[in-house]
Amino acid sequence: MTFLSDELLFFIDLYLNLILGYAILIMSSYLILAYLSAKELRSYLKKNSFVDYEVLLTSEFAPKLSLIAPAYNEGFTIEENVKSLLSLNYNNYQVIVVNDGSKDNSMEILIKTYDLELTELEVHSKIETQKIRGLYRSRNAAFKKLIVVDKENGGKADALNAGLNIAEYPYVVCIDVDCILDKDSLLKLAKPFLESYGKRIIATGGVVRIANQCVIKNGRMVEVNVPDRLLSRIQVLEYLRAFLLGRMAWGRLDGLLLISGAFGAFDKEIALLSGGYSTKTVGEDMELVVRMRRYMLENKLPYSVSYIPDPLCWTEAPEDFQIFKKQRSRWMRGTIETLSFHKRMCLNPKYKLLGMISIPYWTLFEFLAPGIEFIGVITTLVFLVLGLLNWHFFFLLVLFVYTFAIFFSVIALYCEERTYHKYPKQADFLKLLLAAFIEPFYFHPLTVYAALVGYKDKIKGTSGWGEMTRKGFTKKS
Amino acid sequence: MEHLWELYANGTWNEPFLIVSICSFVTASVILYLLLIGSRNSHIKNERLRTEYGILIDKLLFTVVFEDLPFSDIIQNENYKKLKDNRFFREFTTESVINLHKNYNGVYARKLEQFYKDSGLKNDSLKKLKSLKWDIRCKGITELAEMNVHEVFDTILTNSKARNKTLQITAINACIKLEGTKGIAHLTEHPYPIDDWTQVNIIAAFKKHDVGDTQGIENLLESKNTTVVALGLKLIKELKLTQKVPFVEQLATQAPNTFLKYEAQSVLQQLTD
Repeated sequence: MTFLSDELLFFIDLYLNLILGYAILIMSSYLILAYLSAKELRSYLKKNSFVDYEVLLTSEFAPKLSLIAPAYNEGFTIEENVKSLLSLNYNNYQVIVVNDGSKDNSMEILIKTYDLELTELEVHSKIETQKIRGLYRSRNAAFKKLIVVDKENGGKADALNAGLNIAEYPYVVCIDVDCILDKDSLLKLAKPFLESYGKRIIATGGVVRIANQCVIKNGRMVEVNVPDRLLSRIQVLEYLRAFLLGRMAWGRLDGLLLISGAFGAFDKEIALLSGGYSTKTVGEDMELVVRMRRYMLENKLPYSVSYIPDPLCWTEAPEDFQIFKKQRSRWMRGTIETLSFHKRMCLNPKYKLLGMISIPYWTLFEFLAPGIEFIGVITTLVFLVLGLLNWHFFFLLVLFVYTFAIFFSVIALYCEERTYHKYPKQADFLKLLLAAFIEPFYFHPLTVYAALVGYKDKIKGTSGWGEMTRKGFTKKS
Repeated sequence: MEHLWELYANGTWNEPFLIVSICSFVTASVILYLLLIGSRNSHIKNERLRTEYGILIDKLLFTVVFEDLPFSDIIQNENYKKLKDNRFFREFTTESVINLHKNYNGVYARKLEQFYKDSGLKNDSLKKLKSLKWDIRCKGITELAEMNVHEVFDTILTNSKARNKTLQITAINACIKLEGTKGIAHLTEHPYPIDDWTQVNIIAAFKKHDVGDTQGIENLLESKNTTVVALGLKLIKELKLTQKVPFVEQLATQAPNTFLKYEAQSVLQQLTD
């Protein structure tokens, strides 16, 4: 009995130390990334205050961009969204709206609003996609930038590939048609493509922020608000942490694995050479970035992926738990699929920082974290039932994690305050601060649960996105 | 230290570690929160001051531009007397003078330049030019160039050779504004590649400041630095300098690589069409 107890005590001790070690590791990595991000952000803002983006507006040397906006059942908002895409501050660009076999009247609305007619545009199908029913251009010269592709349904990746095949310009900007873009977003996204010499910039991405309860006028953000609903409010905080304190650092290290599917620009040639978007994953945005980087590394071509910390794109976050669960489980499936497609890169020195740091980091802290946390909860419950729980240590551990979570959110709020200051209202700031206190008890368990659903869906072999209902933005008349 | 090692060695480090960490996180959060409040308050205060000073500065600059009052009379203004040594006020005045100067030419612009000099704002900009921080130097360069202070051309030219790209672009733009083509003459000997962003900025500066005398642009075509040659071609093309066709023709026949040869032929085609 004494032997068994000793052995048990040893394992409990070992388990507690492992959990503590994992927590310390993850927290340290967050703090290091936050430090690097803050440094990079400061340097970026300093440089940016002397940048005159207007020079790109008037220059014929500005990179030529093809905007690809896949649309599926967007009939309610497509007219206004396309109008907003056509009125961005940029000259050398075209807009390719890909109607991915919508079941609603999206196509009819587009034809009527933009006076579209079928065109004989030559398509060089470098990537196989679902059948294209027709290509449309406007008879009205005011909409000469617009091309509409009507195709059979094949999912977002397939629609983006169709856009890639049709794009006439050397850089493609892939966006979600329902996102609200900053009017200068293309100017900022295009600049890095001009900046590098000797290194090819294969992709650039910007910060995505939450637009729930913000006021939109004529497709532009006119008033930034913090949502009242807790689920979306906490996502504001979560996005601030992820984009301001996480991706900025990965950008600095040139180890960025993900450029948000909502808004990112790519070198078309490299995207096509890498095979375009994969239709075998629901995380096509992350997978494409990893594949493009892998292509460059395997072919020993000097390259870089650039990241812009300016809030360039505003998107609607789920306000309902069911939709939130679908979104997050899909994100988890996308992560698992990408990591599994490129598993040979993990800890492979051939892939430099990407293989040695980025991919192992994502594996350990993004893919495995919810699972480890779940095991932790189950083990704690077992300890509780068996009366083995060291309450004192348990409370200290919970408090340790809780205080860190709040501390990290306060860092994000401080960074936001010192940089973009998008939430100037006192009430909004307090709402976000309060959210930081509530998040670990309310939001975090939901994200872990949704990620576990993602594990389950992956094991079951579930594919596809599932229906993503959006509420729509508050519009100013 | 010995105590810490003891804690680690006998396996009792966890609890003290957790307690210290919790206290650190709480303290750091409180400090950050206070800094955050401080930053918000300073934001609010600055906004209030900007509104307050804005009214005063607008009146002052209106007097400078539209009323023929000497500076000695302007400084009799009680509010101006009180605030003229305030750093924030001076910064904001410089900003306003610069913004107003962008909108005027001729007599009005000269009056603003005179005020910039008499009020000592020019000295503030000159001090910025000597700063060790590149961003402050950039600010000084922008201000001095906008106010047409030609005497600092050589100093700005030195800055245009800096490795810091933002400083380099700001200084080259300023040189072009002050002395036109002379401002980029040194690029023929530039040792590093000039990226497309810098090139686009240089071309934009030529267009913006309407540089009439383009004597010397052709020298860029003789540079050993291929990016400088590419810049020269772009400038000739964008500014439609048909008088430079013989130089471009020469380059088209003797280009050091196929890229430049192709570019030169393309420029020639555009200029002769």
